Amino acid sequence: MLNVENVKKAFGGVTVLDGVNLVVTPGEVVSILGSSGSGKSTLIRCINGLEKLDGGRITVDDFDVSKPKELAEARKRSGTVFQLFNLYPHMTALQNITLAPIEVLKKPKAEAEKKARDLLASVGLSDRADAYPAQLSGGQRQRVGICRALAMEPRYLLLDEVTSALDPEMTADVLAILAKLAGEGTTMVFVTHEIEFARQISDRIVFLDKGVLLVDLPTEEFFSANGGMAQPRIAQFLSKMRKD
Amino acid sequence: MRYTQFTPYDIVLLAQGLGVTIALFLGTSLIGLLIGTLWGVVRFYRVPVLTEVMTFIAELLKNSPVLVQLFLVFFGFPAFFRINVTPTEAAVITLSANTAAFVYVIAVAAIQSIGREQIEAARVFGLTRWQVLRHVIATQATAFAIGPLIALLVNQLQVTSLISVIGVVDLTKIGNILNLRTLQPFIVWTVVGALYYLAAKLLAFFGTRLENRLRAHTAWRGL
Repeated sequence: MLNVENVKKAFGGVTVLDGVNLVVTPGEVVSILGSSGSGKSTLIRCINGLEKLDGGRITVDDFDVSKPKELAEARKRSGTVFQLFNLYPHMTALQNITLAPIEVLKKPKAEAEKKARDLLASVGLSDRADAYPAQLSGGQRQRVGICRALAMEPRYLLLDEVTSALDPEMTADVLAILAKLAGEGTTMVFVTHEIEFARQISDRIVFLDKGVLLVDLPTEEFFSANGGMAQPRIAQFLSKMRKD
Repeated sequence: MRYTQFTPYDIVLLAQGLGVTIALFLGTSLIGLLIGTLWGVVRFYRVPVLTEVMTFIAELLKNSPVLVQLFLVFFGFPAFFRINVTPTEAAVITLSANTAAFVYVIAVAAIQSIGREQIEAARVFGLTRWQVLRHVIATQATAFAIGPLIALLVNQLQVTSLISVIGVVDLTKIGNILNLRTLQPFIVWTVVGALYYLAAKLLAFFGTRLENRLRAHTAWRGL
């Protein structure tokens, strides 16, 4: 279970997260919506231990990310896919994927490479294993990014606006892969601006506004007139996003 | 034969001087590279106190003349610490420390040139700081640093000529001796200068070849 309890985070006096609570159980797909600057990415960065909490507690399968000794275990259980891919530019796609399994999970190289090739094949990139990130398109890079996270066999996949830097066609490619993963029962925390897609794959939708978690509702209820849409802030956000 | 004439043996003298210069250059460069890189790693780990101390020492070494540093070691060590140093020892200590200070600056810049987001990605996947340094930073930082390092080493090769002042019999000192004997400064210093030039060119040639090999991956040159 991924447990976020009353988490607070501020950057130089500006409150970014203000008492956020969230529980994700294995098998769930939870989408986090909200306008830019609402604290969605910061929440992800708190969960994977890139930001120190100013208050509250986050545990990943009971491992506390604020405790240095438990962070390593917590990180083994979550895999992150980044908005700007964050691939290692001096390594091939295959090396990008196998680095952590070999170094952190101590997998034999051959085994890690086999797994990586299987993953690449599953996202339609079997012929690009030896390409460097600079030789790949944005969509291909992000697919490698997803493989890199999956190679660690994480219990929770954290996706931080993974299609924001991609054009619509590449976005479709990446979303198709995420839909497949969701269908296979992968647990996902999905920060996104792709509202319609979130609606299709999510079990629950969470809405963040100025660092406050406004609602946390099952998907159908979130989009119903007397559920999430009853909140003026959410109705306003959704109508604006749909117009674009 | 007049005493002031050149003799074939002068060539041997020049070769010996060149040998001393190159040996000292190679030795002190190696020590300097090792220590400077080590300083950079300590800074990467943000070791408290040690990082500040080393930055301070590097600042002192970078911002004072090598000749002054050389005098401080050669005359200062016996006077203040009661440690006698031979001219060669003083030369090794000073040149190594001076090279280390500049290597440190290059190493810090090279490490900082690696995008923070890559390091974060590696950390998120559970790599330790050491693993990040080794697998994500080292290769890219080396490719970044190699150009400035070659420029630094070519410069440090010329700087070795200062050690002749405290009596190390390097190429410049031999030049001095030959000059005093033959009273033909134009010929002597032209030959000495040409030898330094050739040594520097050779160094730059191998440096560039190494650089090209490291950057052979045009695929990730866009860094």
